[in-house]
Amino acid sequence: MAAGRHGSRAIPETLQATNIPVILIMVALIVGVAALLPLVQTSLATSTGGNVSRLEDLREDWQARLHEQEVSVAELGSLDRIEREAKSRLKMVVPDSVTYLTVDAPPPAPLRLPSRFLPDKKESVESGSLWEDLFGWIPLP
Amino acid sequence: MGQRRFTEVWRVWAVVAAIVLATVVVTLRLVQLQIVDHAQYAADARLIHYGQDTLAVRRGALLDRSGYPLAASEAAFNVMVEQRAWEDPAAAQTAADSLAQITDASAAEMLAIVRDTEAFEIPVARGLNYGQGVAVRELGLTGVRLLESSRRTYPEGNLAAQLLGFVGQENSGLTGLEIDLDSILGGNPGQVTYERDGIGNQLAFGDRSETPPQPGANVVLSIDRYIQRLAEQELDRAIGDNGAAGGTIIVVQPETGQVLAMASRPTFDVTKPDLSDDSKQALFRNRAITDTYEPGSVFKLMTTAAALDLGLVSPGTWWYDTGVVQVSEWSIFNWDHSANGDQTVQDILTKSLNTGAAWLASLCGAGSFYDYVERFGFGVTSDSGLSGEADGNVRTPESDPTGWRPVDMATNSYGEGIAVTPLQMAMAVAAIANDGVLMKPQLVKEIVGPLGTQVVEPEAVRQVMKPESARTLLDMMGVVVDGVSTAYLDVPGYTYGGKTGTANIATVNGGYKPNAYISSFVGVAPLDDPQIAVLVKIEGPANVPWGTVVAGPAFSRLTEQALAYLKVPPTQEVLVASLQD
Repeated sequence: MAAGRHGSRAIPETLQATNIPVILIMVALIVGVAALLPLVQTSLATSTGGNVSRLEDLREDWQARLHEQEVSVAELGSLDRIEREAKSRLKMVVPDSVTYLTVDAPPPAPLRLPSRFLPDKKESVESGSLWEDLFGWIPLP
Repeated sequence: MGQRRFTEVWRVWAVVAAIVLATVVVTLRLVQLQIVDHAQYAADARLIHYGQDTLAVRRGALLDRSGYPLAASEAAFNVMVEQRAWEDPAAAQTAADSLAQITDASAAEMLAIVRDTEAFEIPVARGLNYGQGVAVRELGLTGVRLLESSRRTYPEGNLAAQLLGFVGQENSGLTGLEIDLDSILGGNPGQVTYERDGIGNQLAFGDRSETPPQPGANVVLSIDRYIQRLAEQELDRAIGDNGAAGGTIIVVQPETGQVLAMASRPTFDVTKPDLSDDSKQALFRNRAITDTYEPGSVFKLMTTAAALDLGLVSPGTWWYDTGVVQVSEWSIFNWDHSANGDQTVQDILTKSLNTGAAWLASLCGAGSFYDYVERFGFGVTSDSGLSGEADGNVRTPESDPTGWRPVDMATNSYGEGIAVTPLQMAMAVAAIANDGVLMKPQLVKEIVGPLGTQVVEPEAVRQVMKPESARTLLDMMGVVVDGVSTAYLDVPGYTYGGKTGTANIATVNGGYKPNAYISSFVGVAPLDDPQIAVLVKIEGPANVPWGTVVAGPAFSRLTEQALAYLKVPPTQEVLVASLQD
């Protein structure tokens, strides 16, 4: 018996007596927390997915409003409306006669296509080869 | 003992057999469900678990030459309802009533649509605007969702309705440029397939595959909205003033062949085209290219062009008008049955002498005369790119060796017995104004797509006549209008030339409608550097038929305003002052 006690001297007594239940509890806690991690991760991911979806809806809403505004702008610029406004609000009338004058000035620039109907400007970054990047600073003969 | 043992064994085997049989039955059923009918059940499961949407693509806009939209698209929403969500009549009625308050559709119609469908989901209201879409979404109705679509709008109203055309419910072009340019404007709609929950909402982490939409390109037309509006206003006025049935005005830039305006009447409401009435579908066609007519005396320009260009005559060449030209057994008379004695070629045009035109054609000979007719672009489509364009009808000795007679050439020389489209005639006159070069009519200037801009260049078809002959004819056209009262033809500040035409309306039986005429005027301005060629054609004027009286005033008003708008400087005489810095 004494030899046995002697033989178990390799394990500290404190561990034998006190720490094993603590370790078990800690392991259980760690396992529990570890088990919760995927749940938390899934929850966060779901929440993020929901946010992405909501933001996509928001973007589509703004896109729809933008298109609606573009059409409104076009309707406000229609010739019928301009004439109506000119006659009713500004009290303009069709001239009885036309007087022509010459002016010593360049004509106004021709109308350009409104930018909203032009393709997006894509910034093109021209990157040369590795050798060009390395030795590009050397002036050409 | 042996009997008992046998009974027990039999019972065991019976149980085993029952189990085996049951297992076989279950197995066979599983084979049926999972292998034989797999495709059907998989499809049914996909229908329940997966949703598929078409991702709306914004249709490209049709823009005028300055970039103002004539037809554009804005976001719209379709209200989609799941059939099973409205299985409960009371709940369905409540939901339909709520939707009806927001949309234009009636609740009864929506309920009927859902009740009659076998589809999982069906649209019950289409084309909601943004505000309506938000209102529907805020209702939060189960089994009801919004599907984004787009709606065609026309900021300039019915301007150029027949030329632009309209689109159908699926945003595909049905008529006009909308169908001719459908592959460019339409783009490619995308598609998304997603896993959904029990009430149809997309699962955040479900399966999802998406093919993004490719937006349509914007098309910049050669049409100028200001000149188009002028043309339509003057056309309406000319029709109203003369009690006419309809008409066409075309404005062309001679140097490029670009069509600045193309207006026809009667027309239709492009914002609400009535597809239910077949009789109204005739209003959708673009009469400037689909309808042919006998041009009448306007065609004397082509006859004179041929004779001038062949060097057979000059404007001062004399000819004696007896008032009648005999061709075989047929007699050709002037429109007023006059006999004018000594006349020049210029007089033939100015006085619009049928006998003179027949004489000029006879000088040319049938081969040369019809060669020039074809060189001016008559008898074949002008290749404008517009669908439904008519060839016209030109009978020649080659095309109809048995039916053609010499008198046909005589009548063709002054525009009878020959059928042309208004666009062909406008382009032919534009060729005279363009040093004899016939241009291809151009309606599309640019295509502005996601990948860049494609510029469509003007295209010459052929040199119809020598530049000097064209110049001479242009001057002769100027003399033609000099003798006309300014009450009918007057473009203050600008030089111009033209030719009137008054023709009978042919019937399908080969005769002519009694007391029914087409009055027309074609002209170019300014004469020294032509910027526009204008054709005005009025059908069935109720009062007088003469082209000068019916079509002349519309040409005058339109040309004066169009030239000022195009910043074409007037002649020096009308300038009242010069401003210096």
